[in-house]
Amino acid sequence: MLKYLIVQLDDAAPSFCHYPSSDFGSSLMDIEVLRDALRWSMKENLTVQFIYPDYKLPEDYLVLIDSVYHADIVSSENSDEALRSEADVIICDSWEALTAYPLQKKQAYVLRVRIDDFLKHSSLLKKVVPLVDRLNVVFTDVEKYDDSVNPRYAEVLKEIGHYIREEYKRNHAVQINLLTDRIFLDEMNNCNAGSESVTLCPDGNFYLCPAYNKDLTRTVGNMTEGLNIRNPQLLRINHAPICMKCDAWQCRRCLWMNKMMTLEFNTPSHQQCVMAHIERNASKSLLDDLKTAGVLNTHKEISEIDYLDPFDKINI
Amino acid sequence: MIKDISRSWQSGVSKTITFIVTKDCQLACKYCYLVGKNEKERMQWEVAKKAIDYILSKEDEFTQESVIFDFIGGEPFLEIELIDKICDYLRTEMFRLNHHWFNSYRFSFSTNGINYHTPQIQDFIKKNKTHVSVGITIDGTRKKHDLNRIWKDVLPEKGSYNDVVRNIPLWLEQFPNASTKVTISSADIPYIRESVMHLFDLGIKDIHINCVFEDVWKENDDVLFEEQLMALADDIIDGEYYKDFSCSFFDENIGKPMDSMDVRNWCGSGTMIAVDAQGFFYPCTRFAQYSLREKPAISIGDINSGIDKNKLRPFLTLDRLVQSSQECIDCAVASGCAWCQGENYDSAETDTIFQRSTAICRMHKARVRANNYYWNKLYRKLESEGIPSDEGNVSKKSTHQPC
Repeated sequence: MLKYLIVQLDDAAPSFCHYPSSDFGSSLMDIEVLRDALRWSMKENLTVQFIYPDYKLPEDYLVLIDSVYHADIVSSENSDEALRSEADVIICDSWEALTAYPLQKKQAYVLRVRIDDFLKHSSLLKKVVPLVDRLNVVFTDVEKYDDSVNPRYAEVLKEIGHYIREEYKRNHAVQINLLTDRIFLDEMNNCNAGSESVTLCPDGNFYLCPAYNKDLTRTVGNMTEGLNIRNPQLLRINHAPICMKCDAWQCRRCLWMNKMMTLEFNTPSHQQCVMAHIERNASKSLLDDLKTAGVLNTHKEISEIDYLDPFDKINI
Repeated sequence: MIKDISRSWQSGVSKTITFIVTKDCQLACKYCYLVGKNEKERMQWEVAKKAIDYILSKEDEFTQESVIFDFIGGEPFLEIELIDKICDYLRTEMFRLNHHWFNSYRFSFSTNGINYHTPQIQDFIKKNKTHVSVGITIDGTRKKHDLNRIWKDVLPEKGSYNDVVRNIPLWLEQFPNASTKVTISSADIPYIRESVMHLFDLGIKDIHINCVFEDVWKENDDVLFEEQLMALADDIIDGEYYKDFSCSFFDENIGKPMDSMDVRNWCGSGTMIAVDAQGFFYPCTRFAQYSLREKPAISIGDINSGIDKNKLRPFLTLDRLVQSSQECIDCAVASGCAWCQGENYDSAETDTIFQRSTAICRMHKARVRANNYYWNKLYRKLESEGIPSDEGNVSKKSTHQPC
């Protein structure tokens, strides 16, 4: 069931996920399209998530946006200081952007980073972790991940686990998606584009997610004719042969990456599976550590597994 | 007492590697799914060699016990010179590399049979005799065959029956257990009975026959189809053809609900590899562009960069349930209902292989009714003759994959 409407307010609004930010140039959504979208969202009981461009929006837009329950997703580079300080999610496109930002616990942060850059500078998180309640690390080049990196990725996650454990000891239950999400989830909870969320772009078309903005072969309806997602079952977990048998519940399961790398929305790449399982296994170690240290009281357990890609278990 | 349906060589333990050596053919069969046939795309030796070098270098990944090197077109025998060179190279390379496929390989051909008698092809067959299988396609009576299988660019329309049937005796002499593949589309239905009986009379003992998967069916086709199969059942049983001949329309295992635990995909695309003249690899020839009406080709790699395993993952994890509608899953006569992954992809609402086409539904149900009639009548006959049905060497095998 749909829960969220993501509204990309301008073509130039930044990416908050795996897909690259667009290079289409600025084009603000027509205010009447926005008005229709917000009325529709209220009728459909959807929570709206706005992705803002980096410039300050006209006042009438801000008033309209404020008329609905919503979340604001804003770049750390946004020129509207008031918006930045009140935003729910701040997007940082580099380590520099993250570490320079005046971090505050009431906001969630997205660090968009290349894998090699993350591995190289992960120790910076030691200073970040005490300052935030929630950080999502999003890799921008998963397709380039290579199995030879597995040991290093596991090692880095283990180190970050130590930072998290120290925070827990200080009674600060920090969340870092790569390590803590799996601990607290009871089932798959990931991308869900097209099944829990849909995106409206400035051209007035719906897309599964902002990654498809302006790709007219990928529209799933528009504000005039309504939403029309064909083969919607293929976006759900029970029609994803690999994912339905997987317990790396924190996996991003990015449908855009799936489509790009395997040509099917419901099939993850080897890279996505392996990374998610290294995170899952690191989450298990962290969970065990937190329980042993007596700083997390839970009956949850994560089992030992002997594979990193569930495809290998299915396809034998 | 009852002839088994034949199975293909090393079925289940072999890897099929298909060389699309040409997209040209002498014929322009009306039901042909190859919508992009042309005279230009002929495989060059350098492409074939690179493909072979790549495939044989991946012995650790291609672990199947045996291999079938399949040659397809268009009409593959138009490129017999290239094929001969490919087969020579395969044999010597497998020997040189001490490859586990050496001595467990087969060269397989599906041909229209027109050039079968020519010296070049006969020399090739003699040279590779113990490793060759050839299927000649003949659709039945002259009337049925010529209805669809006509010469390309010839006006007025000219059928190819005479050009094929003259080679059948030679073919059966060289391959006494050979089978033919018959394809049924809407216009063929009235001729099914006489065509199958005609092929039996020509001496072809195994008839692999199937309805096309494309959505070509007209109202009442299923009724006519059922009538034809009922009449064919009478002919086979009354004439006791069942002792020496088989027709794949009749199979004991079809027409039952599927075991809920059996989620296997029907189609083998992805477990095989096809390579075309440009050196692109495909999960099956049906995903090459010349086979697709509506959708772009799905290539899984090429001879230079190799196979992209990510693109194979959907094919290798695709199961029956995720691609079927609830109606198909719950269907009381689901077993034996076939599908072609390429046609599913081509006719799907979105660019996916995960949506099963149901164009064949009514035809399958008609087949099941006639099939039930066939087995009830046959068993009753055997019983009345004092032959218990379980002594009849009854085929318990599942239906063949029809492509």
